[in-house]
Amino acid sequence: MKILIEREPLMASIQNVMKAISSKTTIPILSGIKLEANDQGVKLTGSNSDITIESIIPKEEDGVINIHEIIPGQIVVQAKFLPEIIKKLPNNQVEIDVDDDLNLKIKSGHAEFKLNGQDAEEYPQLPMLQTENSFDLQIDLLKMLIRQTNFAVSVSETRPILTGVHLKLEENLLELVATDSHRLASRKISMNDAEELFFNNVVIPGKSLSELNKILDETQDTIQISVTDNQILFRTKNVYFLSRLLDGNYPETSRLIPNQSKTVVKVNSKELIESIDRASLLAKDNRNNIVKLVTKGQNTLQITSNSPEIGHVEETLETDSIDGEELKISFNAKYMIDALRAIDSDKVSINFTGAMRPFVIRPEEDDEQILQLITPVRTY
Amino acid sequence: MTTWVELEKFQPVAVKMINNSITRQRIAHAYLFHGPPGTGKQEASLLFAMRYFCENKDEHSSEPCHECVSCKRIQSGNHPDLHWIEPDGQSIKKDQIEYLQKEFTYTGLESNQKFYVVKQAEKMTVNAANRLLKFLEEPSQDTVAVLITEHSGQMLDTIVSRCQRIQFHTLSGEHLYQQLLDQGLAESTAKLFSSMKMDVNQAVEWNEDDWFAEARKIVIQLMDKVMNSNEEGYLYLHQVYLKHFQGRESLEFGLELLLIWFQDIISLHLDKQDSVVLIDQMERLEQFHYIVSLSEAKTLIYEVLYTKRRLAQNVHPTLAMENLILQLQR
Repeated sequence: MKILIEREPLMASIQNVMKAISSKTTIPILSGIKLEANDQGVKLTGSNSDITIESIIPKEEDGVINIHEIIPGQIVVQAKFLPEIIKKLPNNQVEIDVDDDLNLKIKSGHAEFKLNGQDAEEYPQLPMLQTENSFDLQIDLLKMLIRQTNFAVSVSETRPILTGVHLKLEENLLELVATDSHRLASRKISMNDAEELFFNNVVIPGKSLSELNKILDETQDTIQISVTDNQILFRTKNVYFLSRLLDGNYPETSRLIPNQSKTVVKVNSKELIESIDRASLLAKDNRNNIVKLVTKGQNTLQITSNSPEIGHVEETLETDSIDGEELKISFNAKYMIDALRAIDSDKVSINFTGAMRPFVIRPEEDDEQILQLITPVRTY
Repeated sequence: MTTWVELEKFQPVAVKMINNSITRQRIAHAYLFHGPPGTGKQEASLLFAMRYFCENKDEHSSEPCHECVSCKRIQSGNHPDLHWIEPDGQSIKKDQIEYLQKEFTYTGLESNQKFYVVKQAEKMTVNAANRLLKFLEEPSQDTVAVLITEHSGQMLDTIVSRCQRIQFHTLSGEHLYQQLLDQGLAESTAKLFSSMKMDVNQAVEWNEDDWFAEARKIVIQLMDKVMNSNEEGYLYLHQVYLKHFQGRESLEFGLELLLIWFQDIISLHLDKQDSVVLIDQMERLEQFHYIVSLSEAKTLIYEVLYTKRRLAQNVHPTLAMENLILQLQR
């Protein structure tokens, strides 16, 4: 294998794949970056076995030539040193040369590095891309979907399946659900061109999604998502992001969501966040971070929090309307703030079904697209 | 690289059991390979894993192809769906089992088959063992576990009862002796190593190590000193012995040599010249077996075994050895 390549795109690609490489791996080969050259360009792969990132440098892009010379081949090279080496090379062009004994030579200007490589055959083989089982989304939309659901995944490993976000596509409706069994976040969007496609019980690890969210830029470009048996692939123009899925059956969540309500509160979201945030100042040290909400006459809410050792806080909040029964309910302030932030709408409507039943928060323009459910805390 | 055929020569029963479960496609979800060191447990699990992931499987044979990408990567330790768990220091910690647990809640990287091997499984802490139990009990599909242990008695009953047990028999000393001679070891050394049931590869490695030759000399000199009431075995212990045998493993090795020494004395008492191990020390042994009676030799063997146990129980090594020397001193 031999390539003569511009330093800038190579460096950018290395930085992309480095995000997947972790310093402590159980499989020795995963501490390396795989370099693969073919006639179309050069592909770099990095993986920590949970997520895998592939970055492609096309030979020529928008009239700019990235790679001047290619002799196909592949090699795995230690990831620890490669980024620094490439970064500090003197010239803008880099020549990478691999001989039959897996020795890698990096030449630029008068500097020459010789590195020991590893056999690319040893590298995990990634599943073939099945393009027929895929659909497109806009990147900024995908990022929003992740932001609106991923925070609710469970952090404890007692029920591992809950550490992921459940993905379901049915009759042109894509649904994402995340829950840690105390709260639930759900988001639906309708698709246009996915009649043929349906899948269920695809559970993406929450960690992978946060990683993906970090990598993607806020753009209008589309990203292609394909699902295979054991992996999910997110594919932008030059970067492929693969994640393993969680194994197991995701619990049925649709039955958890109450379909009637006894008290409906409509309120300005920003004001509610701020007042709950203030009330939780005293409650934060407490284990459950509990805030109490009481309906009062004239469309006002009273928000209180009481920690006997520290003190007491009380605040009244004007709402747009309160319909139905009177209510006293306590809940975890952090869950409430997370949920309101995720909804990202000026006005929200909160539907309660009694002090012991979970309640549902939706944006006021009721289009059923986003829904946050929180279970209350029992207090005496 | 070994094959099942080679392994079957000295482990006929175990290999037959594994092979049958492979060819009849009745692979259990968990196996416990137990037996003394150097009996091919690890080789067997490696072959098993290779056959499990091999890309050119032959339905009627349990032999992996040794040539496909999967087989090669298993040999070099790079297969992503095969996990080895080894003791981290003194024991297998809870974290290591948690890692395994996490790994198994994910789908496989390449396939949906998973295989894990726990080496020295008796070294799991109670916490770790109980965690392992949870997913030994409820294996996900296509998962095979192999636990390897030399002391199946030290494992939790609840774990043992959930595995198919496969016993690896002690190699006949004769067989090992022959193998070691083939590797070009001297007769006396081969005899010593085969009586310790040492793995062939390890024996070859040790044979080239100066430390071992020195260790043997020191043990013999120590015996000279303690058997002779004029000499100070106690001093020798501090001046030479303890300086050479540092660390738990080497101390155990020293005790192993002492055991062989006393076994030889018993052999001489029973007129079984053939089973003497330290053949090059025949003169010394002859001389000492007049000093140490049969029943005394027996008691002293017990003393050495006690010392071994004390070391395992974290008694200070110097104290444990001092105590032993005082018991041995004539």
